Amino acid sequence: MSAGRTHRLAQPRRARVEAEAVDGRPRAVDGRAVEAVRESWLVEDRWWNGSPVRRRYWEVVTTCGRNLVVFHDLRDGGWFAQR
Amino acid sequence: MFVSPIVCVLLSRFELTVAAGDREELLRAPAALAPEAGREQRVGEVSPAAEAFGIHAGTPLGEALARCPSLALVPPDPAGVADRWERLLVRLEAIGAAVEPERPGLACFAAGGLLRLHGGSLERVLDAARRALRQPARFGAGPSRFCALAAATRARVRRPLVVPGGEAEAAAFLAPLPVALLRGRHETAELPEALERLGIATLGELAALPRAAVADRFGAPGLLAHELACGRDGKLAPRQPPERLAEELELPEALSGVQLDQALRLLVDRLLARRERRGRTLRTVVLAAKLVEGGTWRERVPFREALADPVRMRLALAQRLQLLPAPAERLRLAVERFGPPASDQRSLLDEAAAVRRARLREAVRQARAAAGPDAALRVLTVEADSRVPERRVVLTPFE
Repeated sequence: MSAGRTHRLAQPRRARVEAEAVDGRPRAVDGRAVEAVRESWLVEDRWWNGSPVRRRYWEVVTTCGRNLVVFHDLRDGGWFAQR
Repeated sequence: MFVSPIVCVLLSRFELTVAAGDREELLRAPAALAPEAGREQRVGEVSPAAEAFGIHAGTPLGEALARCPSLALVPPDPAGVADRWERLLVRLEAIGAAVEPERPGLACFAAGGLLRLHGGSLERVLDAARRALRQPARFGAGPSRFCALAAATRARVRRPLVVPGGEAEAAAFLAPLPVALLRGRHETAELPEALERLGIATLGELAALPRAAVADRFGAPGLLAHELACGRDGKLAPRQPPERLAEELELPEALSGVQLDQALRLLVDRLLARRERRGRTLRTVVLAAKLVEGGTWRERVPFREALADPVRMRLALAQRLQLLPAPAERLRLAVERFGPPASDQRSLLDEAAAVRRARLREAVRQARAAAGPDAALRVLTVEADSRVPERRVVLTPFE
């Protein structure tokens, strides 16, 4: 649903992510090194309409102990953090 | 006695033209408005080429297709028609006319009160109305509504037809015209077929019949038709220009079922949160949808009693939403008529909860008055199972 006054929660925000060139695995998120990758999954949705979504999600733990979910937009490029 | 002339504005095949949109070539071939889903299976307005096959608005669908197998059926666009018609009525009202809309494409107004406003002559009034409308229309004027309608059907687009005088002149003008004109009034729309079968082809022949005989054979519609044919008609009942208050949601993909209910919930909350409502209840609303398969759907919902309770509104509207013939890509909820300010709304909750809720509502009202409609919001789940996190929940006005 969309309209002028719709406020959505959990909107993605842009993140600075350094990733491995080979498999796209995040090495650092917003300047903090990644300690471990807990999980990774692919979301492909709405391919049947004009605004398809293709994202590779990564759930990571940084060296300061934070648990983060980031994704790489496989259509338009760019990294985003999302909860 | 001064008889205020009645002006009739006629936009021929208005609903068909709006529904056809840019596909003007459709109107040159045999075409008709398809019946609305769930309604009686009769065609709507028809193109001139279809009329040549003996098809007219109200012909049963099966008969229409039997008469013309190549008949193109245009999906109806009731929401688009209502919008466009409302815009045209507002334009007419902008010249000072108190308009009575008969149906989309046909409206009447009394010119008496406008003569001095527009230079003192009926021609000037007609000219002002034509300019205000900004699109081709036929204008007729006469001493009665029906006479004005008959004149409009005979007029050319740029040349209005005026029937001067009173009742006698109106009857004389109507006498040679076909009884098919009675289709222009919904109360008498069924009569022309029966009259023609009985060999009564013109309004003059109808007017010449004894009133009692017409009443005996056709009842109340027959009596009305007889009055109309004699040049008499009821008074105009102009509408009150409505306040426009609507909320609309674009749905990124065709929604149906539970998701559509959530969209409805969002719309109801938003509509009730609008400042323009000024605490009033809602008496009648219009629920409209743009369908994925083309065309639109529109349902007028008068509440049993005027409401400002979102729970009861949703209960009433959700039932109508079930009638949606196809998934929707846009949903709109508009207020057609307000009720009195909310005071004694019944509550589904017990008394203590109702008191708490009333206090909460007052707090929300005050917060909104200070900080705008987005001051109090609540979380609403719209697509709980979506794989895309930002589509799962939205914030909606707290009500």
